[in-house]
Amino acid sequence: MNSHSSTALSRSGMVLSIALLAACAGNGDGLDANGQPLVPGGSAPPPLSADFESIQENIFTPICSVCHAGASAPEGLRLDAADSYNLLVGVPSTEVPSLDRVKPGDPTDSYIIQKLQGHAAVGAQMPDGCPTTQPCLSATTIGFIQQWITNGAPPAAASTATAVQSAPLAVTSIVPDNMEAVNAPPPQVMVAFNHELDVSQLSTLSAHFEKLASAAAPTVIMQVPAQISVSSANLRALMIWPAAPLSAGHYRLVTDATSAAQISDIAGQQVALGVPDERGETVISTFDVEALP
Amino acid sequence: MNQRSLLGALGALMLTIVVLLRAAPATAEPYLAVMTGYKCNVCHVNPTGGGLRNDFGITYAKVLLPAETVDNTLDSWTGKITDRLRVGGDLRTDWSRDTQPNSPSTQAFALEQFRVYADLTILPDRLGIYVDEQVAPGGSQNEEAYVRYGSTTDGFYVKAGQFYLPFGWRLQDQTAFVQQVSGINMTTPDKGLEVGWEHSAWSAQFDVTNGQANASTGSGYQVVTQVVYTKPIWRVGIAGSSTQSDAGDRHMGALFAGLKTGPIAWLAEGDIVQDDSLERTLVGGLLEADWRVLKGHNLKLTAEYEDPERAVRNNQQTRYSFVYEYTPLPFLQLRAGYRHYFGIPQNNAQNQQLTFFELHGYF
Repeated sequence: MNSHSSTALSRSGMVLSIALLAACAGNGDGLDANGQPLVPGGSAPPPLSADFESIQENIFTPICSVCHAGASAPEGLRLDAADSYNLLVGVPSTEVPSLDRVKPGDPTDSYIIQKLQGHAAVGAQMPDGCPTTQPCLSATTIGFIQQWITNGAPPAAASTATAVQSAPLAVTSIVPDNMEAVNAPPPQVMVAFNHELDVSQLSTLSAHFEKLASAAAPTVIMQVPAQISVSSANLRALMIWPAAPLSAGHYRLVTDATSAAQISDIAGQQVALGVPDERGETVISTFDVEALP
Repeated sequence: MNQRSLLGALGALMLTIVVLLRAAPATAEPYLAVMTGYKCNVCHVNPTGGGLRNDFGITYAKVLLPAETVDNTLDSWTGKITDRLRVGGDLRTDWSRDTQPNSPSTQAFALEQFRVYADLTILPDRLGIYVDEQVAPGGSQNEEAYVRYGSTTDGFYVKAGQFYLPFGWRLQDQTAFVQQVSGINMTTPDKGLEVGWEHSAWSAQFDVTNGQANASTGSGYQVVTQVVYTKPIWRVGIAGSSTQSDAGDRHMGALFAGLKTGPIAWLAEGDIVQDDSLERTLVGGLLEADWRVLKGHNLKLTAEYEDPERAVRNNQQTRYSFVYEYTPLPFLQLRAGYRHYFGIPQNNAQNQQLTFFELHGYF
């Protein structure tokens, strides 16, 4: 190559370089933090940061809960604002039960990170269909979730506010929801509370499943073998795990009001769930598992 | 943007690159291929590049790439365990620091990846089995596993199994905008069939696969095709992809080119994606310059552009990278880099700065 040609080549490269270097990033006018046009009258979520509230508003709610919500949420994992924390933190994944979905302090062994990065042992990378039907989360976005986990995966500040702590112990959410029909056996039933529970008071008598003859005539057919647990990573969520997948039918989750194994918080407050029935049981929730097509 | 405008934009991009290439006389880091004028299959077992190195790839890694060669000790290492079985691997570990506006900086050591490769030749130059397995971090995960029939050096071949799709430059940096926009990179293999053709300066592939979006639906498919023409100091390629999916179809086009000017290898790529599932059009662009400062030393500069939704104004992103790669010895590389993202000001992540130091061991 002669020097004239070489110079022409270098100039060509320079032109292309300058063209790309001159390409400016958008100024963001009229957009929310996700780069979408602002809806008149709407309020944009706060910019993404490594706290649960921001991650919920910027990732779980707009992206994940499109599928992971309601009675048909994949793997029973609901990522709506009411349930996501309690179904993530300290909860074993259903695909790889040896890994928690979120293991506080350990993003590498948190299944959610493996799913988002696409190297989980089971199933597809999340968000489902990425990168073909929707973009995968960028490394930076996943980095915020990793950082939140590294920080100990603390809950949203609002859930630990003084006003919440001074309120009586109460149920804040149940999955499956009361009177809900789910179209797949739930891997677990989750009952979330506004206070941390006193795990020393809990036993299999604290809560158990019963299968009913029908929703209209709540005759108990059988008590369903199940385990009860509260993760040390999240003392606000009581998990009841069926020993075997629940078959189609009507179920209720009850607590034995006559048992010493009451559900109480670390201050000794017992949860008020209503008046016990003639069997001394208080119904926490009823739900239906529909027959698979 | 309507179809005519899309075609116009792609045409303008093609014209720009063709004009730039006409300025040149006929004279798994793809920059190495551009720098040397080699096709991917000269150094890699996989004819579309990346992964296990062949005899020449190992020789290049031992002798031509590092600043210092090691006498005798490595002479016998070719990657071959037996006449029929060849193995290799890549391990990348790093320390990185991420700084974003309005947030405390974060930093961490990380094992980015440890991959091992194996190729079993059943019938020489005709039939073989190839495996690329990521063994860390996390659990073991298969990336590629396919049966290959035919010649990958001159003639037709067929791959069947799971493999990376051919679409544009197969960059080492999986976070490059063009890789994010297309969604095709070395973390997103697919299952299906590839028919390839290697002859003289030409390389071509035609793939029919499930399509990532259809992994759990049992319906739909993806078709990808790519053609590359390689000359000693320049090359140009064009790729297209069409995914039929219940969730919405996705059509992509890419034009990419490489050019060597003295000690500098230039890489350019432009991608355009029409995503019907989200009713949007995406555009990505890359310009990379690799300057071989000295033997074993490479300075990599990149400028990137992404428009994540053409119909939305003021949302474009750019990224600039400065990476120094030092290969002191065979099979050992040290990398130090700085990347600066520029995006909309209300999104911290789009305005981050990333600093990293990486150790890359390979064999």
